[in-house]
Amino acid sequence: MNATRTQITGRIFRKMWQERTLASMANFVTDSIKDAVKSSILEEASRPDSKLWSAADSDGQTKPYADLKSDKETITMKNSLMTGYNHVNSPISPARLLMLHDPLDEWYLDSKPSGLSAPPLKPESDPFLLSKDDMKTLSQSIRSDLIGSDHPVLSKAAAYFFEEGQDGGKKVRPMMVLLLSRAMKIHTKQNSVVRPDLFQAQRRLAEISEMIHTASLFHDDVIDGADTRRGAPAVHKVFGNKMAILAGDYLLARASIFLARLRDVEVVETMSTIIEHLVRGEVMQMKGSDVGATENERMIQYLRKNFYKTASLMANSCKSAAILGGYNDSIVGAAYRYGKHLGIAFQLVDDVLDYEGSASTMGKPALSDLNAGLATAPILFAAEMYPEQLIPLIERKFKYQGDVDVAVDYVKKSGAMKRTKDLAQVHVEIAIESIAELGPSIYKEALVQLAHKVVDRTR
Amino acid sequence: MINSKSITRNTSSRKRYALAAAILAVNTVGPLTVSAFILPSLQHQRQRTNHVMRATAVAAKPSSPVVVSNNAEELSHSETTLRLKPSFDLFQLLTEEEGGIIPPTTTGNTHRDSTVLHTSSQPTDTLKDVKLADYIGKGKDSRKIESLPDPFKMVEKELKPFADSISELVSSDQPILSMAAKHFFEKRHGKRFRPVIVQLVAKAVAAAEPEQIGVNGAASHSVADGTANWAWSGASDVDVNSANHQGSDVWRKQAQLGQIVEMIHVASLIHDDVLDEADTRRGGESVHKLYSNKVAVLAGDYLLARASVLLARLENTSVVQIMATALESLVSGEIMQLKSPPKSLLQMETYLRKSYYKTASLICYACRSTALLGGHSYSSTVATACEEFGFHMGLAFQIQDDILDFTAAENVLGKPALADMDLGLSTAPILYATQEYKELRPLVMRRFKDKGDKQTALEYLYKSPTAMNKARALALFHAEKAVQAILRLPQSEARDALIRLTHAIKDIAMCKRTNGQKDGVATELKTKRR
Repeated sequence: MNATRTQITGRIFRKMWQERTLASMANFVTDSIKDAVKSSILEEASRPDSKLWSAADSDGQTKPYADLKSDKETITMKNSLMTGYNHVNSPISPARLLMLHDPLDEWYLDSKPSGLSAPPLKPESDPFLLSKDDMKTLSQSIRSDLIGSDHPVLSKAAAYFFEEGQDGGKKVRPMMVLLLSRAMKIHTKQNSVVRPDLFQAQRRLAEISEMIHTASLFHDDVIDGADTRRGAPAVHKVFGNKMAILAGDYLLARASIFLARLRDVEVVETMSTIIEHLVRGEVMQMKGSDVGATENERMIQYLRKNFYKTASLMANSCKSAAILGGYNDSIVGAAYRYGKHLGIAFQLVDDVLDYEGSASTMGKPALSDLNAGLATAPILFAAEMYPEQLIPLIERKFKYQGDVDVAVDYVKKSGAMKRTKDLAQVHVEIAIESIAELGPSIYKEALVQLAHKVVDRTR
Repeated sequence: MINSKSITRNTSSRKRYALAAAILAVNTVGPLTVSAFILPSLQHQRQRTNHVMRATAVAAKPSSPVVVSNNAEELSHSETTLRLKPSFDLFQLLTEEEGGIIPPTTTGNTHRDSTVLHTSSQPTDTLKDVKLADYIGKGKDSRKIESLPDPFKMVEKELKPFADSISELVSSDQPILSMAAKHFFEKRHGKRFRPVIVQLVAKAVAAAEPEQIGVNGAASHSVADGTANWAWSGASDVDVNSANHQGSDVWRKQAQLGQIVEMIHVASLIHDDVLDEADTRRGGESVHKLYSNKVAVLAGDYLLARASVLLARLENTSVVQIMATALESLVSGEIMQLKSPPKSLLQMETYLRKSYYKTASLICYACRSTALLGGHSYSSTVATACEEFGFHMGLAFQIQDDILDFTAAENVLGKPALADMDLGLSTAPILYATQEYKELRPLVMRRFKDKGDKQTALEYLYKSPTAMNKARALALFHAEKAVQAILRLPQSEARDALIRLTHAIKDIAMCKRTNGQKDGVATELKTKRR
């Protein structure tokens, strides 16, 4: 009797357990499948030669769909490119892209700064003073738009960095766009403008670039698990991961709507390329550099990643401002180069400040890059001098106890900070040189001042 | 996670694995038991008459970008919200018996006249005034759904070359992963449902002549200097008809739009998967889940970025605006789902609005964009009909899904999947049951958090004689409205295929079988939820 009862109970338990494991297995399968699928999207995205990055390359090559490769198609496509008629997946205005041919190969690593210092700062050409009012209205305008959302929590999360009275970051990007817009206008002295609302459009462009930047901050902070940003708790700490991601998406969507309302297709494409570059930079950062790369390769990869993550936004926003104004190709190129080199310098100085600054002067804690396992310019320069000691640390992403301190010591010993600052100075000089062709004005001086400030800043 | 040590070595464990694999396989490799389509396709020659004045003022540059005029902005946006009016304000959500109201006529939905596009110069529409209900039932008076073209077969070959689609992203040299990807991305509707709809709508609008729309009788339009009448917004300088549509640039752009829609959809799915810290701390799998978060955010961002660039290259700023609004709607829907005041969870209106934001908005905006890319203007009958079709179709699909959550899994697992209730969501069947049994209200308001809540809710659902049927009727209501909308377009193969697609939803929702053999289209659509 007892045996039978045990058997029956056993059978019941086994059945219940079977059902439970089946249900949980269904979940298990789904979760790991989802992870695998997402990872493979990223694997594909992280390959630089992946066809997914094609046609967005800044070297101006067009790579149409591989499958539509019949001869007739190719000929038609070539013809249409020559007559300016665009195939559905080719860049708009390929001529301009060819002009701006930017393979991201040359980083001026061997150049030396010419040692020129900033001209004396006059109050009428102080970039911050000149753009103060514009920045206030910018925050206000973004805030008033975001608050219009249906959902109060979403509005709050999205407008987190645009709150009234908040420091709201340095707003370098919109400042660049606005100052450049005015400088270019004065330079060309055009009386007839391409569009009557040019300055409003350029102002809106500055807002768009700030919104895209903020959206990328929201996402990056979730990815990095950062605790603070700009002196305040990071968005995802306040609202949760999911809300932070969704708020970032919402900002991106609003930015795209504004972008479309600018009614300029080339500008829409240029700014969309920024979004793609941001992701590309983030993926490059997550993947890290290849094991066994030479120091030079590592440095180039790092600099490219900087372009994608930081400089592309500045470069393409400036370029878009020029396109909106309908200026000629050389002005557009000048704007692009100014933004690009200033952006590179900006990021290099950021990386230096990470080693030199402390948590009180900046909104984020020092040595955050090292602690996160990222190898930035100072450590890469130091590794050129002390390869055997530092390369293993870099490759294991400073995981072991004491790695971070060792790295900091070597950086101090090798004078890598000065080398990084010099490189930043070189890029600043190139940026200033790019806009040299613009006619004199207080705005142009302000741009020069801004460029110098990038290197001389403490936060 | 499964503790492998406790898996017994008897054959039942092998059976479990086999069963799980079978479930996966069935969903992805759905058997195509399709009845061949019987009647010859309805071909009709179209004469391109000298029809309407369009934005030919800027015909000089074929690639001249399309803009939204100032008036359009004023009329389609309000001062404070600065956004396109959400479609649920334009079209009806609930039947009149349930308190739904026929929406007021606004500028977005004025052109719903079903006679506008059926001019006398065309052959008569064989499906004039047809209703979905005509296809239900086995009496000899009812029509046969197989008489309409098969939607999937029609566009199968066309969709192949577009290599940006998600299943190609996930590499093909790992077949298990491809299968798994299909399961993940297409878990509800299989077969790349959205691109199929976009392709079919593209063909259907190609058969419709762009209308002459003007203020004070004259169609004033000059895209270049922005004085175009708002009604012309979005219209581009294209000239396609059914005959030359396939392979044209317009067709390519529309196909590309289908892929963009798919990318946006998948990106939002992936971002919805991001876990909050509370979730990561549970179960001690925080490291794994944190990595998972990173990957989720980046993968979704990548897809959104790609979609933005491709959208820009369609060279139509109205479409960019509309699709960006779709992304915004997806985000709003997810947030509504996350954080809604408890009392609002009891209302059907909330559920339908959320369904609109999460599912229908993408489809309806995609349909309208397809019409714009096809050369029709923003306020044309064609564009409005497409949007209305997409709107009701999307809602019908969502309601169908929610019904399936209760009914479908029963056939395989022996008990309903209840994935929605696991997330705390109350869907149409439960809401109707709640209207009948007030005891369910607190359960719904606390999102089934307490132990035993789900079981209780399920019991009440089964107890209620009307809840499930009301949900089915709601799905049918929207399916009918979708058919009414699409019938405004002139007859074409694609339009009829869309009717068949809509019929398949109703089929599933009603759990009907025709002559013991399910309609092949319905089989393709029906999947089990996780």
